Amino acid sequence: MLSLLRQKQWSPYLAGVLLGLVYIVSIWVAGTIPGASGAFENLGGLVAKVVAPALANNTYFRFVMPPGITWEVIMMAGVIAGSFVAAVLSGSFKLRLVSDAQWGRVFGQAIWKRWLAAFLGGIIIEFGAGVAGGCTSGLAVGGGLFLAPAAFIFMIGMFMSGIPVAMIMYRRRY
Amino acid sequence: MELFVIPILIGFGFGFALQKAGLTYYRNIVNVFRFTDLTVIKFMMTAIVVAMVGVFALNAIGGMALPVVPATYIIGNLVGGLIFGVGMAGAGF
Repeated sequence: MLSLLRQKQWSPYLAGVLLGLVYIVSIWVAGTIPGASGAFENLGGLVAKVVAPALANNTYFRFVMPPGITWEVIMMAGVIAGSFVAAVLSGSFKLRLVSDAQWGRVFGQAIWKRWLAAFLGGIIIEFGAGVAGGCTSGLAVGGGLFLAPAAFIFMIGMFMSGIPVAMIMYRRRY
Repeated sequence: MELFVIPILIGFGFGFALQKAGLTYYRNIVNVFRFTDLTVIKFMMTAIVVAMVGVFALNAIGGMALPVVPATYIIGNLVGGLIFGVGMAGAGF
């Protein structure tokens, strides 16, 4: 058991079983599908309230994603703690400015490049999740387990754009 | 108190599973779009199947209430997915 917890990476099937159990517990105990992107929208709404009150009063923040410290935001604190503990247990926790070896090999060690991609990618991801009504966790997995058409339409879109973007970024290395 | 403990514990399991699956690494996310590593697909589909069986079993046996299912609005889901994929492949989140 302890050696399993110390493994750097689990079989995706084993980790998938754990995630599936988390979804069951969440729906059972809290009556809600866990989602990751919602937290950032709720927090973004709080920021908007301060810097652009008129914006925070639009239909989206009023009716779809109300600003505030919501269930999702509290869950996000748990997500950070859970992944941190998992990384520390396997000794893979490390502070890095260019987070991944593959990125370094392909795009170089320039910090600004990785951070710019992370920043712009983060904006695009959140915007896309807002339009679609969820992200990979709340919509693709959370909807997928109810065979909601939305989940599969979303995943089709995700690959329709993700594949060409990866092709453009990797060119001959694709 | 309960208001905080439950979402934090659920989030803890969520983050733990994602880290152990390797979904917190750039390479594992982007490589699914290059079809060189299908970890993301294996992980997500396993979670969907396990949760599906568990949720509907509990619903059938114990009468567990089902949550609000994500709404389907075809254009929005598709366009949102298209935008999402750009960021996901670009940043590796």
